[in-house]
Amino acid sequence: MQDQISRAEVVATSTPTSTLVHEDSTAKWFLVSSVTYFFIVGIVALVIAAKFVWPDLMGTVPALSYGRLRPLHVNGMLFGWLLAADMGLSYYLVPRLCGVKLWSEKLGLATAGLWNLIILGAVVSLLAGQNQGLEYAELPMPLDVAVVVAWIMFGINIFMTIAQRKYPAMYVSTWYIMGTIVWTAFVYLTGNFATLFTSGVNQANLNWMYVHNAVGLIFTPVGLALAYYFIPKASNSPLYSHKLSMVGFWSLAFVYVWTGAHHMIHGPISQWLQTISIAFSVMLLIPVWSAVYNFFATMRGQWQQLRDNVPLKFLMSGVVFYLLTCFQGPMHSLRSVNAIVSKTDWIPGHAHMAVLGAFSFFAVAGTYYALPRMFGKKLFSDALANWSYWLFMMGGLGFFVTLWLGGLWQGWQWNDWTIPFIDTVIALKPVWLVRFFSGVLMFAGIIAFAYNVLATALGTSSTEAAA
Amino acid sequence: MLHKADTSATWAVVGALGLFFIGGLLTTVVPPLVDTTWAKPFENSDPAKGPTGKLLPYTGLEKQGHAIYVREGCWYCHTQQTRTLLADTKRSGWRGVDSPVSTPDEFVFDAPHMFGTKRTGPDLSRVGGKYDEQWHRTHFRNPRDLVQGSIMPPYPWLVDNPQEFKAIVAYLQRLGRAKNWRPDGDFEK
Ligand code: HEC
Repeated sequence: MQDQISRAEVVATSTPTSTLVHEDSTAKWFLVSSVTYFFIVGIVALVIAAKFVWPDLMGTVPALSYGRLRPLHVNGMLFGWLLAADMGLSYYLVPRLCGVKLWSEKLGLATAGLWNLIILGAVVSLLAGQNQGLEYAELPMPLDVAVVVAWIMFGINIFMTIAQRKYPAMYVSTWYIMGTIVWTAFVYLTGNFATLFTSGVNQANLNWMYVHNAVGLIFTPVGLALAYYFIPKASNSPLYSHKLSMVGFWSLAFVYVWTGAHHMIHGPISQWLQTISIAFSVMLLIPVWSAVYNFFATMRGQWQQLRDNVPLKFLMSGVVFYLLTCFQGPMHSLRSVNAIVSKTDWIPGHAHMAVLGAFSFFAVAGTYYALPRMFGKKLFSDALANWSYWLFMMGGLGFFVTLWLGGLWQGWQWNDWTIPFIDTVIALKPVWLVRFFSGVLMFAGIIAFAYNVLATALGTSSTEAAA
Repeated sequence: MLHKADTSATWAVVGALGLFFIGGLLTTVVPPLVDTTWAKPFENSDPAKGPTGKLLPYTGLEKQGHAIYVREGCWYCHTQQTRTLLADTKRSGWRGVDSPVSTPDEFVFDAPHMFGTKRTGPDLSRVGGKYDEQWHRTHFRNPRDLVQGSIMPPYPWLVDNPQEFKAIVAYLQRLGRAKNWRPDGDFEK
């Protein structure tokens, strides 16, 4: 019976209801601005990768030094690009899953405006060195408050839309988006406000709870919401199992939040807390494998579609990266593995596979799929979209793989303390050079993607409605 | 409950938050109540129990140095923790003496904490007293003048600002010194 619901959902949502016309102006604004930030922050990413190879590059300008640009890169990609794109796509898919219009486009547009102000404020303050000193929570207090306000505006809009829905049974993407909204609220408050009343290890513990769950309870659930929606849509196949998606959702809700302390394995934090975080990190395999199995099973008999369906290429590669990154995570938390890879260049390799390889791929796929439908135009260029896929893929793989190999090597060297530290720096130089050129490829992918999106949005050439 | 959540948004949200809060509270609010060493400044006068010493609050100058360390993002490249790994105690050690392992009671006054996640440069948890002021001046002006092959960025604007330079050095010289770990206090000034 459960499977019938899921099938009904996909059918119901793919049948165009002639009476219901989605305005989508909020979704459009979010997507177009997020893609713009993807491009701008991509430049910052290239610069900091270059600084590893040429450390004196722009070395005398404080605002352009590594320590200022790195938080801009991280915050810009996480909040300016990825979260904004995820929000934009949520504004697109929740009304469709509910069979109603978005509750308020006006509120949505105000949210988009506020979000843009936040990102611009972040650029200025981070370059000026106004940094709260906590990872992922670098933004100064006024901007934190603005984020909370914007999030409440987003939440109200989505929940009011859900409250008015026409279909009583909710598709799994809807739960994941609801989960994202409520979990994020508490995770964000912990990381950006509760931390300010604490110090030392206590503060670090809250900080890691936030950092870990910014990925685990913000980007993961909203990313999965996109995958659960766009994989069946793009492949035109019903989701394999509704029941399995419930297992994934409820285990994610329970397991993720326990793992923050695994960022301090072997560090100055209570051993029993480290052990708890390790146990729950391993349990993360349950939500991950149940979701991934569901996606693969949905594709059964449909794999040939990957040949020329660009959104599906991004989606299924994203699923593979998700599987891999979420296998690495639990493994890193094991004390023996951690002793080698922790603090090395392996870790940025892992983090980029999660945020770029998995979650950005889902958002890019969703954008390619949704954009033509929102604008009632064809995508500007399918060939360019295919190019963007291969550029992201080659750049991404080059980036991940070289950093893993380099990080592993670095970790082994560090464990032999007769090797002077500086020799372990020099040893990694070829790795950082390859990483830079992989970054160039990824940036070319961003250009292809952003150009395609903007040309579709702004262009007037093709007005033929797609689906 | 799970079945109800299928058709009721309220149930879905209550369930999702309920499960979240079990782990959320048990791993954030409870640990500092159970492990009191997180909040008690280090103090030891019995050499039999390990290095002696006392953790003092930051002076005004050190605080300013800490703020500069935060502002310039030194913490993206440097950690401040000697972990419970032999290699860490060797690498953070100096002149043949191993560094004591970092303990929570050494960091009670750190806000924001600077434990760090990435070692592009060496761990700084015991850097206090390893180098003198002149070394730091040269190193900040251009790290490659002292360490061939370094990829640390140059910080000429710190050296050119006497107040800021004094502050960042005061901060660095304090790191790891609550534990008097040198056998004969052979710290550089
Ligand atoms: C891009 C990464 C990076 C940044 C940012 C960075 N460093 Fe470094 N740091 C290094 C590297 C690599 C070394 C090792 C080579 C050397 O000594 O120059 C190092 C070495 C050091 C040392 C010597 C440590 C030892 O035990 O020999 C100190 C002290 C230091 N850095 C302080 C700082 C301070 C203070 C800042 C911020 C103003 C900073 N670093 C910013 C990469 C970085």
